[in-house]
Amino acid sequence: MVTNTSTGGASTLGLGKPRRFDPNDKKYIPGLLITPVQILLCVMLIFPFILEFVISMTEWQPIYGDFWLAFTSVFTQKINQGINYNYLVTDEPRYLQALGRTVIMSVISLCLEFVIGLGLASLFLKKFWGKRIWFTALLTPMMIMPVVVGYTWFMLFQYNGPINQIFGWIAFSPVNLQWLNDGTLAFIAVIVTEVWHWTPLFFLIMLSGLNAVPENPIRAATVLGASNVKIFWTIILPNMRAVIIIAFVIRGMEVVKLFDEIYLLTRGGPGTATETISLYLYKLAFEDFRLAYAGSAAFIVLVITVVLINMMLKPIRYQLVEGR
Amino acid sequence: MANIKLELVNLRKEFGDLVAVDDVSIAIEESETMALLGPSGCGKSTILNMIVGLEAPTSGDILIDGKSVLNVPPGDRNIGLVFQDYAVFTHMTVRSNLAYGLKVRKMKQPEIDREIAKVSEFLSITHQLDRKPDELGASELQRVAIGRTLVTNPEILLLDEPLSNLEAAMRNQMRRELRRIQADTGQTIIYVTHDQIEALSLAHRIAVMDFGALQQYDTAHNVYQYPANRFVGSFLGNPPMNFLKGKLAEDGGRRVVTSGDSTIPLPAGNLGSDVSAGADVVVGVRPESLSLAAADDPGRFSVPVLAVEPQGPETVVTASFGDSSLKVIVPTGDPAVERDSIDLVPVSDLVALFDAESGVRLLDSGDRR
Repeated sequence: MVTNTSTGGASTLGLGKPRRFDPNDKKYIPGLLITPVQILLCVMLIFPFILEFVISMTEWQPIYGDFWLAFTSVFTQKINQGINYNYLVTDEPRYLQALGRTVIMSVISLCLEFVIGLGLASLFLKKFWGKRIWFTALLTPMMIMPVVVGYTWFMLFQYNGPINQIFGWIAFSPVNLQWLNDGTLAFIAVIVTEVWHWTPLFFLIMLSGLNAVPENPIRAATVLGASNVKIFWTIILPNMRAVIIIAFVIRGMEVVKLFDEIYLLTRGGPGTATETISLYLYKLAFEDFRLAYAGSAAFIVLVITVVLINMMLKPIRYQLVEGR
Repeated sequence: MANIKLELVNLRKEFGDLVAVDDVSIAIEESETMALLGPSGCGKSTILNMIVGLEAPTSGDILIDGKSVLNVPPGDRNIGLVFQDYAVFTHMTVRSNLAYGLKVRKMKQPEIDREIAKVSEFLSITHQLDRKPDELGASELQRVAIGRTLVTNPEILLLDEPLSNLEAAMRNQMRRELRRIQADTGQTIIYVTHDQIEALSLAHRIAVMDFGALQQYDTAHNVYQYPANRFVGSFLGNPPMNFLKGKLAEDGGRRVVTSGDSTIPLPAGNLGSDVSAGADVVVGVRPESLSLAAADDPGRFSVPVLAVEPQGPETVVTASFGDSSLKVIVPTGDPAVERDSIDLVPVSDLVALFDAESGVRLLDSGDRR
């Protein structure tokens, strides 16, 4: 890394000589190559991000007729010094509930996905009949579009649908659970759908992680007398730490954005029993058209997500950045 | 004979059609150092895995102190194994690495601390106890791996290619260290190696393997000087043993081997009964086992010189013996090498005779130790 704190970089840059732009100088190539992407990123991501932040500070509403009028009106709005934020955090329990619900739903489904995925992956370390077919079958759910998954499970969870039917066979009496009309059951239904849909990704990542654990430390521990359980906790899991954290980070970011399936299953209902943050934001922005509030609400979620993801990455940041 | 510590009885391992280990029987005495020597893929690692218990033999038995251990799980055999890549637990400190085997044995913490202090001092890694393995060099990692095993006080210590991952200078130092460890602890040690120097310098006895079969199991001296077959002769020694093709003949009451104009006398000894004059044989003689002959030496033979390469204090002379070439090491500056042919004499009885086809040693001679 170049340090220019002490000398100001003056001597190292050689200010004595005139520096001209040389189009053949190879050092400009990397910069030139990434410029289009940088511009695209600015237009598609950074500018909207700043705009959203500005809107979140105002009471702007998209009711000013044509596009340019609406757009320019953003900058003539009075900045209201975070009243939106204040309101959301103190006077909007629905928002805080949605946040909390998202956290609970994420933690439960990620843990289930992790445990089931790791369990399935461990099975795949051994040989068994039909392994290749099972492998393909297990990966299929994550390749299905969320809309299709949502609608499929919506039908499965109907009170006269297949799931109640199967439970009825097991219980030897008709089961009529109102899966999607009862708060707790709907919450469970959403988690089941989510876990069914995304466990395959955990399975895939855990399987590659298990296969990447070096064999000799495991053998060394075996010779030292460690049991399989002990080896799993002390050798295999620590060796998979980076893989596990990355899987949680990827899925954690996804699960916060979970929308399609819940929308199709329950639309956040009954009441607000399954209303997660992305559903709440959608309703706030595109049903109530309270865009300034939605902007503030989304911004808070972004900050929380960035902080959480960075905390999760902290234990392996050194390893990833330094390449050790 | 001292106590037999470990005995392999007709040990055999098959992987499908491949016979990885072919009925190997070896007995190792207590406090003895044995080297399993052979080229890669000869089955030595498979034997190691079977001794430790990571693999089950197809047939045969493994006895420790006279008791079969085939049904004993790896952790209870009281055998220590140091891996070629050391297999140090990279996510733990050196201290936790050393403590691992003791914790598994449910030892109390104060006792663990005492044992770690002892072994780390013995291997001079005390100042590295709280470091992570990725801060250590190869030889330090090896000490950690050895320490992690030694601390559990194994009855037999197995080392898989202990020096192969070290650079040349480190190798010599570690070789001395290993010899010190053996001398101080009186451990029964088995080395697995493909490096003949390592085997010759570290082991009391050497088991030479090829294609899964035991070729020779004897003291280091005997394996080097009296190879049981052509493979053993060719595998050990640098420059390699000379192999001279010829026919067995009788010359004035003395057995000789002739090829073209050249004749080499053989030492006295018992020849296999089915070998007679005129048989195709191969003479094996090491470059350093031949010396320049005095004019009246009765055992001398003469060979034409092809090339002379001075290498500092020694000179390597390449001569021809019939169709085969012959390398001899002589002191530099000897005028004898300037001539078209030189007179040589084998040192004592270190001339081996092999069957041309099977490569088996024919002549039973010599002073074995």
